[in-house]
Amino acid sequence: MKNEAYRANVRKLVILSILMVLAVVLYMVIDVNFANPKFFKFSMKIRTPKLLAMLVAAFAIGAASIVFQSIINNTIVTPCLLGMNSLYTLLHTAVYFFFGASSFLAVNANAAFIVDLMLMIVVATFIYGYLFKKTNYNVLYVLLIGTVLSSFFGSVQSTMIRVMDPNEYDALLLTLVAGFDNINGEIIGCCVLLLALLVFILRKDLALLDVITLGKDQAINLGVDYDRCIRRLLIGVTACIAVATAMVGPISFLGLIIANLGRQLMKTYRHSHLILGSSLIGMMTLVAGQCLVEHVFAYAIPVSVFITLGGGIYFLYLLLKKR
Amino acid sequence: MNVKNLIKKYDGKAVVDSVSFEIPKGKVISLIGPNGAGKSTVMGMISRLIAKDEGLIEFEDKDLSKWKSKELAKRLAILTQHNNVQMKLTVRELVSFGRFPYSGSRLTQEDYDIIDKAISYMELEAFEDRFIDELSGGQRQRAYIAMVIAQDTEYVLLDEPTNNLDIYHATNMMKTVRKLCDELGKTVILVLHEINYAAFYSDYICAFLDGKIARFGTVEEVITKETLSQIYKVDFEIMNIGGKPLTIYY
Repeated sequence: MKNEAYRANVRKLVILSILMVLAVVLYMVIDVNFANPKFFKFSMKIRTPKLLAMLVAAFAIGAASIVFQSIINNTIVTPCLLGMNSLYTLLHTAVYFFFGASSFLAVNANAAFIVDLMLMIVVATFIYGYLFKKTNYNVLYVLLIGTVLSSFFGSVQSTMIRVMDPNEYDALLLTLVAGFDNINGEIIGCCVLLLALLVFILRKDLALLDVITLGKDQAINLGVDYDRCIRRLLIGVTACIAVATAMVGPISFLGLIIANLGRQLMKTYRHSHLILGSSLIGMMTLVAGQCLVEHVFAYAIPVSVFITLGGGIYFLYLLLKKR
Repeated sequence: MNVKNLIKKYDGKAVVDSVSFEIPKGKVISLIGPNGAGKSTVMGMISRLIAKDEGLIEFEDKDLSKWKSKELAKRLAILTQHNNVQMKLTVRELVSFGRFPYSGSRLTQEDYDIIDKAISYMELEAFEDRFIDELSGGQRQRAYIAMVIAQDTEYVLLDEPTNNLDIYHATNMMKTVRKLCDELGKTVILVLHEINYAAFYSDYICAFLDGKIARFGTVEEVITKETLSQIYKVDFEIMNIGGKPLTIYY
């Protein structure tokens, strides 16, 4: 017995998927020389990792933002606004700083990523878990402290860079400014595996998320082990942010945009729909945006500029709309 | 439900200080008292929302903390005042959550029947597809009560259910509380600020003062000039209307 709204949402998801596939096809075929197999192979070799990275990043950011918003019961907060990706950048820099650019960790991208990820999960769950508990999930405090933390992590990171050996800094910079035009392709396999594992392990907690959005009291009333569930989900969010930041670099407003567009479009409490919807919107925007950047603007403006610009305006709109 | 020597301290100061009482089954019990007397904290502890520092809460002859949260959710429902949902959630969907302890998110035909009954019991058919955040305070409160009914528990705990409601809605709320007890056979425990609602609609009253129970008994035993003046430190007159003691304070 599924109702009308449920079916409408499934329809919306199908349409979104079709649009997303269209964007993907468009991205993969524009200006590709199909006649010459060598050229064709070369185009595919360049485009496939980029495409995969965008799809994976969109999913990671979409899922992390939706889950995070539901945990804290506010739709204008995202992990990025609270400095989670600054934290990742800081940890990544710290690994280079303490182990050196020629160490095994710096040379092997997958090993570096795993170390970053572990550090990130431990540090972030500790900081944000403590923060949430201490402020009793009060959005204003969390946002305020998060903003402070964000610049704090940034400052610590730039201090490290300043005292670093210039050669090491040079090596670090390459991995630090990952963007859509400079994708960390080596770790794609690792990331996809990790995300699949996360979804599998957290599937029960994700189902509980629907109940958690009723608020702490109601969730406990309905028999949810609230603290445990939040802890597990927070680890998932952290890992997702680590994946996205490692792969395409920090993009602050993307999560905010796609999570809110997803919520506006789906108008439901079902997180399976919300997460899928937001991810699909994210994939579509990223791939189509990158298409425009490459073929219309000829790489003059990176897609992250559009995202930050659009995201900034959208953020203001959301704040003003809510009064 | 049996509460023994319950203690809760904040920063070393006891807000609830060795409170013991037994909750009679199938009755309406109101907890009253001035601000900061500890009634809401006691409510929080017996509903497992607030951790107790010392003491024992026995629910159905078993330590409350030994109960599995999910099992407890089938026996005891809580409704607090913190219910601001940010999600797009319709009344029917909210009421359906009441079945979560039984069926998770996969509802059975039996669940749907119970949900339908709960919605019609609270006369919410007209807005069952409206979003919660578009309802008035009174309607929203009714939707939450419908969810509690769908949860189908023997015990219902309500924390200041008449807060922020006008006289019409507050009175109807209290009539519903009475119905929950008389028609559905539930034990209802509620925290109330409005003494006259407590006096008119409950069977037992537990009056708190400074973290301790000042008086626990039937309405007639607690609603007296002496007890109330001692608790609230203002002058009271007691009148008898419809066989119930009602108070005037000034």
